[in-house]
Amino acid sequence: MTVAQHSSNKTYIVIWVWLMALVLAGVGIAELHISKTAIVATVLVLSTIKAFLVAMHYMHLKTDRRMLAFVLIAPFILVALALCVVFSSRLIQL
Amino acid sequence: MSHAHAITTPHSEALSATATGIPSGKLAMWVFLASEVMFFTGLIGAYIILRMSHLAWPGDEGHLSVPIGTLNTLVLLCSSATIVLSLSAAERRQVPAARNWLLATIVLGCLFLGIKGYEYHAKFSHHIYPSTNIFWSCYFAMTAFHALHVIGGIIFNVWVMLYTFSPKLWTSRGHRLELAGLYWHFVDIVWIFLFPLVYLL
Repeated sequence: MTVAQHSSNKTYIVIWVWLMALVLAGVGIAELHISKTAIVATVLVLSTIKAFLVAMHYMHLKTDRRMLAFVLIAPFILVALALCVVFSSRLIQL
Repeated sequence: MSHAHAITTPHSEALSATATGIPSGKLAMWVFLASEVMFFTGLIGAYIILRMSHLAWPGDEGHLSVPIGTLNTLVLLCSSATIVLSLSAAERRQVPAARNWLLATIVLGCLFLGIKGYEYHAKFSHHIYPSTNIFWSCYFAMTAFHALHVIGGIIFNVWVMLYTFSPKLWTSRGHRLELAGLYWHFVDIVWIFLFPLVYLL
């Protein structure tokens, strides 16, 4: 019986190294004396990249059926809509 | 798009014969994780809104140790790597290796909880509680709910690890290792966002 493989161990290790490096990069950037907005944007982008790497490679969304990606994307669309409403009301107050 | 089953056993092949082509347990886990996204988004969204409403945040009393938080983040990321290596070993039918990687995941999960417990103890010894102010209320709510999920993940991992000691159980239920892995990675992703929001920004 053939055994299907998701990814090689080498890929998993490479992703792990990237994740560790991105965490340390985020911590380093947060300590920089630059504008708060730039720090917030950069650190959150780094977090999104890390989450993307975990979902695509460790949770195998890259190779699994696309339907599973839609299952995960659906709540994010709802979340994005909810946040748009919340932040738009906040901006109106400002 | 190709679809690869994590652990190919007669039982798991039968399970994958569904209308979607996805094993029912795996699809159920993804739907559950989607609901968990909504749960944590409620917590994190409330935190962001509250933070935006306060000019001084977290204030003088809101100190958190970045080195300890960073260490805990690295521990959790290591545990994500070990559980995916466990799954990889299981795919290669190397059950002892799968068990060892899963044990490493459990140990790392316990280490994460231990470090978090140390942080909690330090705060409590300084008379800092959830009722101290809105920052600590948010901090304890988010991190405690996350810790509960870590505990749930550890129990799930221990449960699956016990299957590795019985060839019969492993053949019929070993595919649950993939489900445990999905849950564990989700817990990791939640922390990936919690750590910078609470500790760094």
